[in-house]
Amino acid sequence: MADAVFYDGETARRRTVSLKIGASSLDLHEGDDWIASWPTGAVRRREAASGVLRLMLEGGPALARLDVTDPGDQASIRAHCARLELGEPKERTGRIIFWSALAAVSLTLCVVFLLPIVAERLTPLIPLSVERRLGTAVDNQVKFIFGGKVCDGTRGLAALETLSARLRASTDVGMETHIAVLESKIPNAIALPGGRIYLFKGLLDQAESADEVAGVLAHEMGHAAHRDSLRSLIQSGGASYLLGLLFGDVSGGGAVVIATQLLIDSAHSREAETAADAFAAQAMLALGRPPKAMGLLLKRIEGNEKKLPAFLSTHPVTDQRLKSLEQQAPAHTGEPLLSEEEWRALKEICKTS
Amino acid sequence: MTASYVSNLTPAAPHEARMSFSGRGREFLRLLVTGSLFQIPTFGFYRFWLITKLRRHLWANTQVGGEAFEYTGTAKELLIGFLIALAVLTPIYLGYFILGIIAEEQKALASIPLVLIMYVLMHFASYRVRRCRATRTVFRGVRFWMKGSGWAYAMRAILWDIATMLTLGLALPWATASLERYRMRHTYFGSIQGSFTRSGWGLFKRGWWVWGLGMASILGALALLTYLDAIKAKNINIFGGVILLLPIPVVLALLPLVMAIFTRWQMEGLRVGEVAVSSNLAKGAFYGTFLKLIFSSIGFLLVFGVLFSLGGYLFVEKLQALQLGEISWETGSVIVLGALAYLALLLGMGIIQRYFMGRGLWAVVVNSITVSNLQAVNAAVAAGQPSGVLGEGLADALDFEIGI
Ligand SMILES: [Zn+2]
Repeated sequence: MADAVFYDGETARRRTVSLKIGASSLDLHEGDDWIASWPTGAVRRREAASGVLRLMLEGGPALARLDVTDPGDQASIRAHCARLELGEPKERTGRIIFWSALAAVSLTLCVVFLLPIVAERLTPLIPLSVERRLGTAVDNQVKFIFGGKVCDGTRGLAALETLSARLRASTDVGMETHIAVLESKIPNAIALPGGRIYLFKGLLDQAESADEVAGVLAHEMGHAAHRDSLRSLIQSGGASYLLGLLFGDVSGGGAVVIATQLLIDSAHSREAETAADAFAAQAMLALGRPPKAMGLLLKRIEGNEKKLPAFLSTHPVTDQRLKSLEQQAPAHTGEPLLSEEEWRALKEICKTS
Repeated sequence: MTASYVSNLTPAAPHEARMSFSGRGREFLRLLVTGSLFQIPTFGFYRFWLITKLRRHLWANTQVGGEAFEYTGTAKELLIGFLIALAVLTPIYLGYFILGIIAEEQKALASIPLVLIMYVLMHFASYRVRRCRATRTVFRGVRFWMKGSGWAYAMRAILWDIATMLTLGLALPWATASLERYRMRHTYFGSIQGSFTRSGWGLFKRGWWVWGLGMASILGALALLTYLDAIKAKNINIFGGVILLLPIPVVLALLPLVMAIFTRWQMEGLRVGEVAVSSNLAKGAFYGTFLKLIFSSIGFLLVFGVLFSLGGYLFVEKLQALQLGEISWETGSVIVLGALAYLALLLGMGIIQRYFMGRGLWAVVVNSITVSNLQAVNAAVAAGQPSGVLGEGLADALDFEIGI
C-alpha cells in the first residue's frame, strides 16, 4: 500500500504514514510504530483539492486529517467506509427551501393579519406632536417624489385659505391642518399624518365649482380627523420594514420610501372612506352646500381618466357611495364658499405670474 | 517504509515552496450558478450556503507545496451571524428612528448621523470578519487564530482614515501598513505568532507615481476648466461637465495597477514566525482579469438586453394593458416575468463579479506566491478556538465585504 500524509491535529508536523485498510478499521503506522486505528464507520470525508481524499475521524481530534492520494487506496477506503459522506451533509436543499418559505410565510401572515391590529391599537396612543413629526418626514418624501412643486400663486393661495377657513370653522378636525396644491397632473388628493393635506393640480383642473373642491377637502380633513393616514403609515411602514428584513435590508432605508409610495398610491379601507365621506357631508351641510358635489367630481374624473389614480381604482365611486352623498341635501342654502373671482384665482393657483 | 523514516529525520521539505491554485473554473462556476438559482426560491437565504461552498472550494484548492488549506466554517454559523446582526442592528435603527421623532431638538440629534455609527461598526466588523475567517482556516491540522480587539482596530482605522483624508490620500501607505501590522501581530498559526514586515515607506516608493498620475489628471481637469473660464470660452457649461468627468476613466484604468502593487507589497510583508512569503505579482497582473470581467459583463448585458426587448415585443399588448392599470392573470404574469428577469439580471451580474473578482484575482495572487522556511511551521502546536460570527453577520447585513 502507498503512503498517505497524516496530521495529528496537535502539531503542524507532516507525518508520512502507511495505511492498512481493513473492514473494521483504518490502521496508521509511522514506520514500525502504530499511530492510530480509525473505525471505518466513523471516517468522514472533508473538502480537498481534486485528486486528494481528505479524511477525518468523527469524534476524534477535531483537526486531525489524513490525506490519501493513491487512487487504489482511495477506492478501497470508499469501499470500506460506508458513512464517508455523512460529515459533509449532502446538500439538504429541500430543508433550506422549506425553512425559507416558512420564514416568508410567517412574515407575510404578520403583515396581513397582525399589523392591521397593531396599527389600530397603536394609532390612538401616539401623541399629536409625534404624528406631526412623522408627517414632516413623509412630507419631505412626498415633495421629493413630486419634485417639490407646491403652487404659490398669491391670489390663488388667498382663495384656498378662505375656503379652508370656512371648512375649518364648520368642522372639528382636532388638529391644525395645512392645505396646499401640488403641481401634478394626477387627479388626486391626499392627507398626510399630522394634518397636512395636498390637492393635486390635476384634480383642481377637472373641478367645475368651489363646492366640488370643498367636498374633497372636507373628505381629506375627515381622514385627518380620524387619523387614517397615521394608521396607514404605521401599517405600510411596518409591512415594508418586515418584508425588507426578509431581503436583508436592515436599515429600513427602503421602508420609508415604499411606505410613502404606498400611502400615496393606495386607498384607505372601505370603512375609513365611508367615515370620511360622512365627515365631509356633515361639514358641507353645516355650510349649507350640497355634499353631492364631491361625488360629481369623482364621477367625472372616473369618466375622463384612462388610468385611474389608485384611490379611485381600488375603491371606485360606487353607486352606493354616490347615493348616500346625494341623499343629504342642505335644508337651507348657504352663501357660496368662494366668489366667482376667488374661484378663478384658485383654478389658476399654479400659474406663476 | 524506510523512505518515510528518512524524511522525518532530515526535513526533505525544500526551503522554498510555491503556492498554487488548483481549482477548476468550471467547478467553481457550477457551484456559483446552482447556488445563485437556489437563492430565488429561498428569498436569498441560500447565500450563506453558497458562500460556504465557495470558500471550501477556494481554501481546499489553495496549496502550499502541494498541501492544501481547509475552511471549517459552516453555513449555519453564517445564518446565525446574520440573525445576531439583525438583533443588534434593528434596535439601533428603530431606536434612532423613534428618538428622532420624539426628541424635541431634532437638529441636535441629526448631528450624530446614523451613518457615523454604521461607519464605526463597519471597521469593527471588518476586523471581526477577518478573525472569523482566520479561525476557520486550517493548515496541516492546525488552526489559524487571532487576538486583538475589533474596537481597538476600529479606532486605529478611523484615525488613519482622517489622516488619509487630510493628506489627500498620501498617508494611505502608512495607514495600510499600520493596520496590517495590527492584524498580523494578532494572528497566530497554532503557537506561532505572525507579523508584518513591510513599511508604509516601501509602498509609497512603489506607488507614489500612480497617486501623482491620478492627482495630475484631477488637477489638470481643474486647471483646464479655470483656463476656459478665464478666456470666456463658449459652451463652458457643457464642456465643463465633460472635463470634470475626464479623471474618472484615468482613475478607473489605474485601479487594477494600484491593486496589484498593494497586493504584492502586502503579501511580501506576511510572516508567520520564520515562515516568509514572497510574490512575483507583476504590476499589470490584474488587467487580464479586469478585462475579462468587463467584456463578459458587456456580453451578458447585451444578451440580456436582446432577450428582454424580444420579450417586451412579444408582450407589447399586455404591457399596454398594464399601463392602463388593467389587472388580470395576463398582466399579472407579465409582472412576475419582469420580476424574474430583474432577478436574473442581478444574479447574472453577481455570478460574473464573483467569478472574476473573487476566484480570478484569488488564483492570480496565489499563483504568484513563494513561501520560504516552510519547515518552521513544524514546531507549531495547536491553539485557539473558532471565534464568533457577529462580524460576518454585520458584513452581510450592512452589505459590505460582499463576494467570497
Ligand atoms: Zn379618502
